[in-house]
Amino acid sequence: MKAPLTLDVNGMRHELEVSGETTLLDALREELGLTGTKKNCLEAECGVCTVLLDGKAVNSCILLAHQCEGRNITTVEGLARPGSLSPLQQAFIQHGAVQCGFCIPGMLVTAQSYLDELDGRAPDRDEVREAIAGTLCRCTGYSKIVDAIEAEALRLNAARWEAC
Amino acid sequence: MPLNFHRPSSLREAMDLKQDLGEACHFLAGGTDLMIQRNRGRKIVGAVVDLSRLRGLDRIEPLGDGLRIGALARMRALETDERVRILAPALAEAARVVGGAQVRHMATLGGNIANASPAADTVPVLLALAAFVVVLGPNGERRVPIAELLAGRGRTTLQAAEIITHVELPRPARGSAFLKAGRRKAMEIAVVNAAVSLELDAKGLIHAARLALGAVADRSLVVADAEAMMRGQAPSPELFKAAATLARDASRPISDVRASADYRRHLASVLTERALTLAHKRLVAATTGIPA
Repeated sequence: MKAPLTLDVNGMRHELEVSGETTLLDALREELGLTGTKKNCLEAECGVCTVLLDGKAVNSCILLAHQCEGRNITTVEGLARPGSLSPLQQAFIQHGAVQCGFCIPGMLVTAQSYLDELDGRAPDRDEVREAIAGTLCRCTGYSKIVDAIEAEALRLNAARWEAC
Repeated sequence: MPLNFHRPSSLREAMDLKQDLGEACHFLAGGTDLMIQRNRGRKIVGAVVDLSRLRGLDRIEPLGDGLRIGALARMRALETDERVRILAPALAEAARVVGGAQVRHMATLGGNIANASPAADTVPVLLALAAFVVVLGPNGERRVPIAELLAGRGRTTLQAAEIITHVELPRPARGSAFLKAGRRKAMEIAVVNAAVSLELDAKGLIHAARLALGAVADRSLVVADAEAMMRGQAPSPELFKAAATLARDASRPISDVRASADYRRHLASVLTERALTLAHKRLVAATTGIPA
């Protein structure tokens, strides 16, 4: 049975009617057309469905849409303003971190959550690898992805020192 | 399959809903096991009562010398909370190796207990920390040692409408440690895990030693023989080796896709010895102020 649901996604409020079993992933893709969030394992193993829920990375495949009423959801489409790229997205391009691209939306969102939590502290390469362990890439071997995230973390760290 | 979603605004309402809706209705907290089982078609979930938004149940606060942790505290919070890292380092260590960051942002301590997986990471720690679990039911509240809640693989002694509200760690456990062996470092179910906690008396002898293992029996397993053997003894590599042998002998593991029973017994021994050594180092460091 469908029930009304208000979802706040990427700063926009949406009034939806969805059934109780609808996952956040399906609501984003099927109801809102936000297909940057990918659908794959449905068991929180691969991370391609990662979105930010109140700023923290979560697997949207195991969240029910109705659980997310009144919370702030950010998808990969919301990382940058329309027509531009976020610094993290630019770092991925600069470091050649993208091959087939399927994991990249989830990887960007996972990395953004880590950078936000890092809050300008100096990054540690092992910590970066640990932070993205829940998001799988089967093309790149991760080196360039880790390079990109580390570079962005270093930039944020330098910016914090400059602000002092 | 249809699923009816309910979001109660109080624990009382949650219990009433669960009583009314019956068998196919499940409490939902982090959902990192329930929703996966549902997606796989392994569990029929006709309705959920969403506990994840109940206010105040995710707090971590002092309780005497110990800690009181709300059942909705997320793994990520346990991993990063400064008091948990100091007073119960084993718990922070266990929380850190549950799934990936996404799962740790969702998964709750109460859920890890209620789920009753024999390979749960935080449950052996709670056994080693002699934790109490506070449970609220239609007939009132009860406070039980964690061991009394565990009834076997996926089974607890919780009654149908009972809800875990808090976990109490009555004493500080600065000398505690948790180790996990998996086939890889992250995103892995434990092949075996081990949690220990040591307390020394004024003479430096072991006042209390507690040891629990995961994934070596149908539930998280307390190695009472080893605990009794260590009591009153001076900590030493030989003593920890002897405890490791008892841990190996107490293990009743199965062989499965992750490891053979023999290998699990071997790991039970190795992890026990290493965890005791680490816990002892931490205790010495906490007492002398010299970092381990």
